[in-house]
Amino acid sequence: MSTLLENHIVELLQERNEKAISLLYENYSDTLYGVAFKVVKDEAIAQDVLQESFVKIWKKADTYDPKKAKLFTWLFRITRNTAIDKLRSAKKKTEKEIQIDVSDVYKLGIDGVDPDCIDMKENLDKIDLKYKTVLEALFFEGMTQQEASDELDIPLGTIKSRLKIGLRELRKIYVEPIILLILIHLIS
Amino acid sequence: MKDKIKDFLDTDLLEKYLLGTTTELEKHKVERYIAMYPEVRKTYNELQDNLEEFAKIYALKTPEGLKEKITNTVKAQSKTKRKFINYAIAASVVTFISITASYFFYNENQNLQEENTVVTNQIKLLEADMKQRLEDVRNQFIVLNNPQTKKYNVRGNKRGKDLKAVAYVNPVKKLSYINLQNMPHLEEGECLQMWAEVNGEMINLGILRDSGDKDNLLALPYAKNAVGYITIEPKGGNETPTVDNIVANISIN
Repeated sequence: MSTLLENHIVELLQERNEKAISLLYENYSDTLYGVAFKVVKDEAIAQDVLQESFVKIWKKADTYDPKKAKLFTWLFRITRNTAIDKLRSAKKKTEKEIQIDVSDVYKLGIDGVDPDCIDMKENLDKIDLKYKTVLEALFFEGMTQQEASDELDIPLGTIKSRLKIGLRELRKIYVEPIILLILIHLIS
Repeated sequence: MKDKIKDFLDTDLLEKYLLGTTTELEKHKVERYIAMYPEVRKTYNELQDNLEEFAKIYALKTPEGLKEKITNTVKAQSKTKRKFINYAIAASVVTFISITASYFFYNENQNLQEENTVVTNQIKLLEADMKQRLEDVRNQFIVLNNPQTKKYNVRGNKRGKDLKAVAYVNPVKKLSYINLQNMPHLEEGECLQMWAEVNGEMINLGILRDSGDKDNLLALPYAKNAVGYITIEPKGGNETPTVDNIVANISIN
């Protein structure tokens, strides 16, 4: 489901109007910065990743097909892949293994959490840690399901079911309050 | 069909596609399933919504000044690109001009070469013609100037009273010529044709034309004891002489 704003941004991007970058930044930069930070776990590198991602978004604007992916999905793919590439090249440079710390699921930056996102954090807490770990490993750490299974020492079948349940749980958090609101509205 | 969709959803292909980590082959498969099956499409859209919600949870406030830095970088990028495009256009124009020029010069060169061949051929033809004429004149001179050359006056018979011609024959040099002084009266659609009887065979020597030049000598094939005939033939000449129409004969002894 694309919103009017999304359509507008896509149009501007395809017209190669630089205003698109400004609008993208205003609406998506916090989330994408969060994604980059979650992957690279360093603020300065995350900022570099964000910058590189925006350049790629601008350069690849004509390859974006709204029929194949939502705007956010496309932005996420670019940012996540840029962050993972950055991490891999840093890994090669330092020859250091980056440990996946399961307990380190949420790390606050110096600037802290966006006030708008505080309720999100509460929502995150509602998702069971075991689902969250799997979702993070797959979405942010650049792991395949098999790699997550090996890394987290969880059978592949369990990874698959946790991913599905985790996503469903996540959906419930957002969908349920809406249903509740509709119900209240109907009753009153 | 249901099993096929369930099996597909049980793999992590859709999740991999969501993150953009599929191979080209997998990508085509997933896109085919999304296009074909509403259930897969619905799951994919849910996954996309979930991903956005999930990612939003991790949103972090971007630091001050980063927006300007990023927008400036992007603007600089598009300027460089524009510059590159300008250079590319300029280069294309130059290439186009040079290709056009090369084509023009190539064509010009081809034309000149063709012209050159034509001129060379003409020169060769002229040369051959000149040699031929020179040879002819030389032979005429030899024949006319040689003491052994015999001169025969040729007169027309009743059929061609006005015919006057002189034949020159040189048995040593084996050359013979005829000089047509006066053409007989010819009806419309008639012409004079010259023949030579060589070894009992009549050889067509061609049509005699009133060239207007009374000094013009016409070369004849030389044969010992040859007899020359002049006949009146239909316009355009004949393949065999019409004996009734003989206007003159030249016996060369």
